[in-house]
Amino acid sequence: MIRSRNALMIAAAALALAAWGPASHAADATKVALVPGGPHPYFAAWEKAGQDAMKDFKLGAADYRVPQKWELGLQNSLLESLLSQGYNAFLVFPGDPVGSNSTVQELTENGAPVIATAGCLKEPSSALFCLGTDTGNSAYLGTKELIKAMGGKGRVAHFTGFLVDPNTQLRIDAVEKAAKETNGAVSVVQVIADIDAPGPAEEKINAYLAAHAGDVDGIVTTAWVPAVVAANSLRKIGDKRIKMVGIDHDEVVLKAIKDGFVNGTMLQNPYGQGYIGSYALNRIRSGCKVKKDAPFKTIALTNRFIDSGTVYADKDAVDNYVGSMQSITKQIFGDFEKTYLTCS
Amino acid sequence: MGASPLTSWLLTNEFGLLTLILAFGAAFALGTPGFGSAFNLFTLGRIMSIDIMIGFSMMVVIVTGGLNLSVGAIGVCSAMAFGWLAERAGLPLALAIPGALAFGGMLGAINGQLIVRSGLHSFIITLATMSVFFGVMLFVTRAEAFRALPAAISVFGKTRYLGYLSPLLLVSAGVGLGLAALYRLTPLGREMLAAGARAPAAELSGVRVGRTFVLCHMLSGVLAGVAALMVIARTGAALPSMAGDLGQDWLLPAFLGPVLGGAALSGGRVSVLGAFLGAALVSELSNGLLQFRVGEFWVQTYLGLLLLIAVLMDLGRRKFLARIGSLAR
Repeated sequence: MIRSRNALMIAAAALALAAWGPASHAADATKVALVPGGPHPYFAAWEKAGQDAMKDFKLGAADYRVPQKWELGLQNSLLESLLSQGYNAFLVFPGDPVGSNSTVQELTENGAPVIATAGCLKEPSSALFCLGTDTGNSAYLGTKELIKAMGGKGRVAHFTGFLVDPNTQLRIDAVEKAAKETNGAVSVVQVIADIDAPGPAEEKINAYLAAHAGDVDGIVTTAWVPAVVAANSLRKIGDKRIKMVGIDHDEVVLKAIKDGFVNGTMLQNPYGQGYIGSYALNRIRSGCKVKKDAPFKTIALTNRFIDSGTVYADKDAVDNYVGSMQSITKQIFGDFEKTYLTCS
Repeated sequence: MGASPLTSWLLTNEFGLLTLILAFGAAFALGTPGFGSAFNLFTLGRIMSIDIMIGFSMMVVIVTGGLNLSVGAIGVCSAMAFGWLAERAGLPLALAIPGALAFGGMLGAINGQLIVRSGLHSFIITLATMSVFFGVMLFVTRAEAFRALPAAISVFGKTRYLGYLSPLLLVSAGVGLGLAALYRLTPLGREMLAAGARAPAAELSGVRVGRTFVLCHMLSGVLAGVAALMVIARTGAALPSMAGDLGQDWLLPAFLGPVLGGAALSGGRVSVLGAFLGAALVSELSNGLLQFRVGEFWVQTYLGLLLLIAVLMDLGRRKFLARIGSLAR
């Protein structure tokens, strides 16, 4: 009896599911979703970039939508849900360079073009291309600046981001490369990774500097939160002997540069990524195609990479960092269509 | 005189859950155009199927009056074992899949043996093995994902029947039917329920309680492995981070389904259909909230509130029906 009731209930559920049926969500206007891998201050500029792009390019929407936390499953669910809500173009920071490929493919199969943004997907991928900081180059240039500030010799500690972030290994390798070029004058004595969140960054960086501040001459940070925490730590220690080059444009880092606790920062261009990416998606939806012979760069994960720009800002340049980012964006945007797209 | 069959049926937990699923489904479908789209129903079914399987993995241990906090860690270990067998060892799926499930079963059996031999509560043992299993997995794999798996597994994850039905949901339904048959039709299933309800009495009746508990944990490990393979089918890769740090991301769905479904945490009573519907309700609510564009950071709060409302509504329904039943008598 109970079994037959259960069977009835299952049948009722199946019927109800079938009754909902497929709903169409055709939309002519481009509706861009800008989706990072999880909450992180780096991506905050995407929100303004989306709003500006919507206004400037008359998009249907360009909304910044953040998964509740850094979890691939949550990001995938959000992306799938956004497609169902009618978003038809996506800028996605891949939660995993391979694990995100499957979802990106589903988005593109449903007619929504995707640009991997700020982080790349491992090829083969159905994303149009990858638009991001050449993180390896940025870390390399930042380390070169640090070595210059250290007088060409000494011991370096490297604080970096999530191990699941496809960029982290590239950064570790690039810092090592810059150090090796000094023929032993500079050595990387410590790499602390997986600390791009306040809790672990505070704990590990403070503990390391408490025990080993005397053993290092320079610090290079290649992720946002470690840069903030290390800048604060150096201010607390009050010793300007240790040189530091940070990354990104958090107020704490910029103030530490002005006050002389940090030598400079490698600016990235998250605003430009969001703005140019939204523009590119709209052009693709308008009928443009990505040029087969476009001058893409090749990096470890992909051979379809566009550098969204990076620039070193020291004490003299720090006040005008917004201008620096805008000028990079303007420069890339100016000839983006001519360089990367074919529009009939 | 007892309540009429209709009243008894209306009072079941399963009927309550089904009513809530249909009510929320109708509200979401009316409120958001995307909820009823074929693609959303497909992805909802796929997520649902994984949460259901994770719930089953916990449910088969709740039967014993215990818990398995290491379901996520076992799931990740099984996924990595599958990755190694399919990618590195080059075994065909027909061997790699049973191999991974057997590995999950073995880890579950370790849990069971430790619990039975030590006499400690499963909470303590599985809390410890959660860290041990996950830590050893990280050490052995060096947190490297397996990303060149046979295409067939991700093709399976993307397959759609009738445009909206994920085969993964059929797998969960099939496993659910198997579990229902186990508890209703087989002596082993009845022994599991008896041992969980009152172990000393079961022992006196000739049930080998220790062996039965080990088998329950082994089954839990196998089901965690099935859930892990479903995640692989969805992402196309075996990732050490697939269930979060120490596999903790699986704990909430592991408990929600069985508990909402009416499983007694003291053991001896479970409802497979209830666990299925409980997990389905939670997945539906999460999906619907995303469709309603509730701010991403508010989803958890609203999900908690909706679950609370759902449980209170169900309680009210039962009280109302019970009162009608007693008035009729």
